[in-house]
Amino acid sequence: MAEPRRWYLITYDIRDPKRWRKVYALLKGYGEWLQLSVFRCLLTDRDREQLRWELARRMDPVDTLLVIGLCGGCVERVRAINPGEDWPEEPPPFRVL
Amino acid sequence: MSPRPVVVEPTLRVHALHALAYCERLFYLEEVEEVRVADAAIFAGRRLHARLEQEGERVEVEVSSEVLGLHGKVDAVRERAGTLVVHEHKRGRHASGEGGPEAWPGDRLQVGAYALLVEECFPGTEVECRVRYHQTETTVCFPLDEPLRQDVVAAVARARLLRASGMRPPVTTEERKCARCSLAPVCLPEEERIGSGAERPRLFPEDDVRQVLHVTTAGSRVGRASDELVVTPPEGEGEPVRLPVRTVSALVSHGAVQVSSQVLALCVERDVGVHWFTSGGRYLGGLGGGGGNVQRRLRQFEALRQEAVCLGLARRLVAAKLEGQLRFLLRASRGDVDAREVMGSAVRDLRALLPGCAEAASLDVLRGLEGAGAARYFGVLPYLLGDDVDPRLRFDGRNRRPPRDRFNAVLGFLYGLVHREVEAAIRSVGLDVAFGFFHQPRSSAGPLGLDVMEQFRVPLADMPLVASLNRRAWDAEADFEVTPEHVWLSKAGRAKAIELYERRMRETWKHNVLGYSLSYARLVELEVRLLEKEWTGTPGLFATFRLR
Repeated sequence: MAEPRRWYLITYDIRDPKRWRKVYALLKGYGEWLQLSVFRCLLTDRDREQLRWELARRMDPVDTLLVIGLCGGCVERVRAINPGEDWPEEPPPFRVL
Repeated sequence: MSPRPVVVEPTLRVHALHALAYCERLFYLEEVEEVRVADAAIFAGRRLHARLEQEGERVEVEVSSEVLGLHGKVDAVRERAGTLVVHEHKRGRHASGEGGPEAWPGDRLQVGAYALLVEECFPGTEVECRVRYHQTETTVCFPLDEPLRQDVVAAVARARLLRASGMRPPVTTEERKCARCSLAPVCLPEEERIGSGAERPRLFPEDDVRQVLHVTTAGSRVGRASDELVVTPPEGEGEPVRLPVRTVSALVSHGAVQVSSQVLALCVERDVGVHWFTSGGRYLGGLGGGGGNVQRRLRQFEALRQEAVCLGLARRLVAAKLEGQLRFLLRASRGDVDAREVMGSAVRDLRALLPGCAEAASLDVLRGLEGAGAARYFGVLPYLLGDDVDPRLRFDGRNRRPPRDRFNAVLGFLYGLVHREVEAAIRSVGLDVAFGFFHQPRSSAGPLGLDVMEQFRVPLADMPLVASLNRRAWDAEADFEVTPEHVWLSKAGRAKAIELYERRMRETWKHNVLGYSLSYARLVELEVRLLEKEWTGTPGLFATFRLR
């Protein structure tokens, strides 16, 4: 039994290059960079709260953040509209490189 | 007047009183053993406090007192009409009392302690406590009265007593508290309750959702770019692969792979295990696991220094291993009359060895029994392979260092992976691999790792290997590198073996004693935790799992 995970789309608008770099580096540790200031992350509740806390420490009140949780149906629709993209429900537990 | 000798006992975090009021065992694990696990609620709480700071709501005040034996940070202290008001913010709901909202006992104690500390700084001033519950948006007020003072003093005394004692308090009787406790994966309350005869199955411990990353391509480099691991293959063999560090649970490097020191630092910081194998598949060692855990280690050393404890554990371990071999033989030959006939005598011999384990007089006797069992078991293992298995893949006795046939090459590699898993589990539980109870200390491998591993050889290596050979999953040419002296796995073969093993680790099965399903990956860690419980209060559960 694993902790359940969900896909999140995370976008931000940071008004200062220094803070922006910090936030960008932080998010790189949690998920995949999709487009300018847009990340997707597969997170447990614990990861999500940790990420939000770490972001709160790096961001300023003038910056904005949007965390969008995607339900199973939403993810399927993303797949249907962008068929090239892979949004696995449960990524394999190991990788061999 | 000559100064009195001062016995300085370190002050206690006020926050610890909150844990103490919730569960004495939680207090002990956090404050004495320093095991802390942050769950979603804890991060949400931290974020609440960060937000309050931004809104200009909060003036943190650090207070401490040798007299009271406490130190801590008050969220805010304000003066209102001559009364000092101590504020504390909580993310959750308030407790409901008879006359409306009330503070939870732990919160009362915590704020009461802050109030006492504040009072000590401003003697003679009246002090009032306020707890703000953000989920329900209610504020609960109560004065610092005599009963509350006494509660705090009593709690500090109790905390000091627990801190001084070497024994872990028992699991709380209020089960529902465990469901929301962040330390439940370490404390394993349900397992303890099962051990004491109660039946309350529960899905635990949880699987790690992160990936194990095996880097097998010789010449790869693993580097760090901010919080990503970047695996760059040798020139001309493809693009770098980037992985967010939080999606990785362990980095396993096979053979000639460069891992930068920045990656090592990141992995240590983020609790990612790093392990090294030789290109031939021998486990060299690894990094990882929490620092310290000195209490656990001391208890381990104390327990395993007693010969009776070691003998008792070793008896059960050898019995578990022999029974595992026996059950695998019976299971694999089920319904196969010919195989049963060939195996008849081996099965009988193995059965006859079992009672001897329970009454073996010394470790040497047990080693003899183990050896006799292994001889019988490996003697008949070849008969479990189907008729259509490639003759080059057949098995004729165990050999190693180096393996001289293909079967032994894969088996040795799989054992190496099992060994890694067990050592990683021992480290993460906070025990010392170097001090075991059955194996003799040897140069490279830690005896405790070899001890615990014995139970897992059959289910995690032998069984999947025999099954995969019977499925004809192996290619005798492409998967191996054969020289006259030894046989190694080729790159393709190694990838196959890793896949076989990792898939097996994710298979779930129902534990015969604990009664709930869990994956083999979690079983390994569970066994180590149960082993630790052998000398910390709940003996009798280690080495009790059996194949069906």
